[in-house]
Amino acid sequence: MLKMTHLSKVYRTEVVETYALRDFNIDVKEGEFVAVTGPSGSGKTTFLTIAGLLETFTGGTYHLDGIEVSRLDDNARSKIRNEKIGFIFQAFNLIPDLNVYDNVEVPLRYRGMKGPERKQRIMDALERVGLASRAKHYPAELSGGQQQRVAIARALAGSPRLLLADEPTGNLDTQMARGVMELLEEIHREGATIVMVTHDPELAARAQRNVHIIDGQVVDLGEDPRFHAHAARAVDA
Amino acid sequence: MNVQIQPILAALKRHKAGTLLIAMQIALTLAIVCNATFIIRERLARVARPTGMVETHLLTVQNRFVGTGATSSEPLVKADLATLRQIPGVVDATAINSYPLRGGGWSMGVQTDPDARKAITAATLYFADDHAVATMGLKLIAGRNFRADEISWQDAQKVEAPGEIIVSKALADKVFPDGHALGRTVYIMGNARPSTIIGVVERLQTPWSGTFADNFMEHSVLLPIQLTGAFGSYLVRTEPGRLDALLKTVPAQLMKTNRMRVLRDDTGVRSFAEVREAAYKTDRGMALLMTVVCVVLLAITAAGIVGLTSFWVGQRRRQIGVRRALGATRSDILGYFLTENLLIGLAGVVVGTAMAVGLNLWMVTHFEMHRLSMVYVAVGVVALLLIGQGAVLAPALRASRVSPVEATRSV
Ligand SMILES: Nc1ncnc2c1ncn2[C@@H]1O[C@H](COP(=O)(O)OP(=O)(O)O)[C@@H](O)[C@H]1O
Ligand SMILES: [Mg+2]
Repeated sequence: MLKMTHLSKVYRTEVVETYALRDFNIDVKEGEFVAVTGPSGSGKTTFLTIAGLLETFTGGTYHLDGIEVSRLDDNARSKIRNEKIGFIFQAFNLIPDLNVYDNVEVPLRYRGMKGPERKQRIMDALERVGLASRAKHYPAELSGGQQQRVAIARALAGSPRLLLADEPTGNLDTQMARGVMELLEEIHREGATIVMVTHDPELAARAQRNVHIIDGQVVDLGEDPRFHAHAARAVDA
Repeated sequence: MNVQIQPILAALKRHKAGTLLIAMQIALTLAIVCNATFIIRERLARVARPTGMVETHLLTVQNRFVGTGATSSEPLVKADLATLRQIPGVVDATAINSYPLRGGGWSMGVQTDPDARKAITAATLYFADDHAVATMGLKLIAGRNFRADEISWQDAQKVEAPGEIIVSKALADKVFPDGHALGRTVYIMGNARPSTIIGVVERLQTPWSGTFADNFMEHSVLLPIQLTGAFGSYLVRTEPGRLDALLKTVPAQLMKTNRMRVLRDDTGVRSFAEVREAAYKTDRGMALLMTVVCVVLLAITAAGIVGLTSFWVGQRRRQIGVRRALGATRSDILGYFLTENLLIGLAGVVVGTAMAVGLNLWMVTHFEMHRLSMVYVAVGVVALLLIGQGAVLAPALRASRVSPVEATRSV
């Protein structure tokens, strides 16, 4: 589904060159639930933005769903983002000017979907996250946990095959975080591939596989989530 | 491109103040610019009206005799005309009480029935001679010119209607709608004796450039009469290229003929181009002022749109990034801002159209204004919408270049 080989990402400013990713290799199979951990500044977000075609990379190759993405133009990248990828951000990133319903509708409109189908999908998605009754509310009128569930509904409505989540529970308290995590697990069981960046070892432990990033490189800690959870804690400390 | 109106309207509802401000600005601009353009066009149309004379190589003299003999001016005028006609470079000269664009002259009622209470129309009376048609360059389209022996000299206080007159076509058509004016008689001085129309000229304006003569602008009568008196005008037709020199020669020669006269520095001897310039100075000034007002208003509106959109683009960078992350293409984002501006613009022009009509109606009742033609409103609407789209283009393009990675920047 998602395969990066010898990938590198360099941020150049006038004074310094920062290698956010270097010789980065990862292979996420269709239907996997991968948790990405690592210390702050290690390159987790950079990895996710490149994986989600939000940003280009400097070297190496990246195949998404079998397509070599560096060849794609901006419009083709937009189309893939719209149809294949669902994003969940730490800061929720709902559009404050739009109510819950209209927020969930945004990606569907960019897909050019017809009104009745949009409505069906929006209501289904809101139903799933338990917020159908809040369709007319504005983001500012919702709690953080509710906002993130709207964001998940927005990501789900387009039935993406790949869900990318950057610290989706980072701004939530434990109870809300648990709710969000349960939702992600449910989505995963229905067949979506999920890559989730998290700081929380407990959540990481619930994923099928853990990938640990240090200094822009993948450090493979094996398949044992418990072992991994300890390692992550050790690195963070 | 994938742009839909409903979510744009939904988002605008959350930005009422800015939206209303720009829409009102567009409305006001439309109302004022439509009416101003209408006034400009009216003024320019007024300025462009032809006098009926061949105005190039035409020179005007406004003369006042002083001292003894000024009231019985016949020999003095005859001497002046003789002088003028023999100056090298002069084609012809005529003595006439007034001329188009001079600003003052005689106006009288014209009627076909001597007992009628009300005249058919007003007309101006030019007291001229047999050289007037040639000097002014009028086009005689029917009948004949005056003969020298038909010219009489009369006291302005007790003028008697002449047996023969030449009229402008506009007057002829007004009085005789059947088109057969030649040889018919009219009464031009109350119920005095009738005058026979012996000639029709294609066009001859009255002396007034303001609104006074708007109803009879081309109703003119040439009479074979010379008025005796201290005041009088001469028109002088020159050969091509001689006008500038003659502007100096003519007053000098006139003074040499008779020193007992006043030729004012400003209006004494002028080219007809100067006369026209002076007559329409306020109309031109008004048109210029209105043009400046329009340009300034349009510029302010465009600047307002650029400013507000730039502000909104800055404010919405993150949500633009989010939209890009969710699949919006660059043209979707561009289209979003263009459509948003178009919607605000449409609201503005709808209100503005009502305001334009209202403003015009107010001016119709309070000033001498005509009803605004809807063509001006239509052109104004299209122009303002286009200006809006033009103004929004730069900030909208900037918005379309916001990277989708903006969505991930931590708050
Ligand atoms: N736009 C950028 N310009 C320059 N450096 C950046 C930029 N984005 C990220 N970086 C750098 O790249 C490295 C990885 O950052 P990031 O991927 O955000 O880490 P993480 O998400 O693991 O905390 C950091 O050193 C960060 O400072
Ligand atoms: Mg990060």
